[in-house]
Amino acid sequence: MVTVLLHNDFTLSPVWEACSRVWEPLLEHESQVDISARFAAGDENALADAYREWSPLVHTVALRSTGNHGDAAEITQAVFVSAWRGRSGFEPDRAPLPAWLVGITRKRIADHWELKTKELKKMDRVAGDESLREKGLQLDEVIDRVVLSDEMARLGEPQQQIMRLAFFEDLTHVQIASRLGLPLGTVKSHIRRSLERLRMRLEVDNVAY
Amino acid sequence: MSHIEEAELALVSLGEVVRPQDAEHLSQCRDCQESLARLSELVEISRSSTVGDQLVSPPDDVWSAVAFELNLSTSSSADHGNSQVVRSLATARSRKRIPVWLGVAAASVGIVAGAALTAAIIEVQGSQESSTQVVARTELAPVANSTSRGTAVVETTEQGPMLHVTVRDLPPIVDGYYEVWMATADAKTMVALGTLNTQSDSSFSLPAGMQMSKFPLVDVSVEHFDGIAGHSAQSVVRGQFSA
Repeated sequence: MVTVLLHNDFTLSPVWEACSRVWEPLLEHESQVDISARFAAGDENALADAYREWSPLVHTVALRSTGNHGDAAEITQAVFVSAWRGRSGFEPDRAPLPAWLVGITRKRIADHWELKTKELKKMDRVAGDESLREKGLQLDEVIDRVVLSDEMARLGEPQQQIMRLAFFEDLTHVQIASRLGLPLGTVKSHIRRSLERLRMRLEVDNVAY
Repeated sequence: MSHIEEAELALVSLGEVVRPQDAEHLSQCRDCQESLARLSELVEISRSSTVGDQLVSPPDDVWSAVAFELNLSTSSSADHGNSQVVRSLATARSRKRIPVWLGVAAASVGIVAGAALTAAIIEVQGSQESSTQVVARTELAPVANSTSRGTAVVETTEQGPMLHVTVRDLPPIVDGYYEVWMATADAKTMVALGTLNTQSDSSFSLPAGMQMSKFPLVDVSVEHFDGIAGHSAQSVVRGQFSA
């Protein structure tokens, strides 16, 4: 992976180096590191790239949390607008761009619920604080699941297939090896590395911002 | 005593049986127990994913709205292909500051072209028989779910410039009306011209001093009797006069 640093038309920058060094295991694709670095540098095209890469992540979290397509679209819009306007607060060496976006999404959804709860409280419909706490807990779970779905989708093959068989069909590594015609050791190490990658993504997206 | 291999812990977290040689160590080693607990939690969350957690892309017009709100240059494009231009009325209304459809014109020339907004200036008719001259004409193309089409024509008359708008096949509205607007090319400034007559042509006097070249967009929207003077963001047809 260190070879990505030598990509022809990219001058090594401190941002790039820090980004690669710390989060390299998560940022498999050079383009993702590149987007983060350009985003931090204020390149408008990087915002478009980040949107293409991670708007499904943001939108799905919003959609799962609010259950409303209109609200989710509005939150997604607000997240990318805030991310761009507040990009000076983005530190690529602290966490990669998707983690920063998830952090903003979390805040936006919390704001959304606070507003809704206030509205409902005015009508005496709900005991506000209790409900908000509950929503917060649900939001954490939603984010974890969607972030993992996103990372699963980014696993290459055969890793993705191996993990699907392990997670959702409860096959042992021996059964998976025989089903896919792969050596036992290969399956075992793919499982270890994939779990590690998923765990890291989850931690990064949770603690970073 | 050495710790259990990570690969073995990974298998155990997925529910496989602990190997006999690891069982004793695991029962005594706090570190290995904690590693296993972390992995097990991860596995549990992954297994709790449902179809609903699969990633869903936002509607295409969200990017346009982002680009508009941030006033991005038109070269930045998330390129989501066929764009649906206008978001639902409810969504657009709740963000009153930013009429969503406005983002489109500002954000991407490509989208305008994609929406088949053909526009053409009609040659000035050099007729001396009448003081009325057609100076611009554009087709009005359907927006979002609309299927209506129409035309808009600007004429100079002795009384000043007039805009004539005809839209065919507009569905009747019981609790509202259709309104005609003109807007700047960047769509930041809009002028409401009045109510559209759905049964025949509608003619509007263009305000004196309003330069046509600065307001090339023509838009027809659905409006409700809600006291909100701004554009509802629910457009039905739209066109643009060529510069």
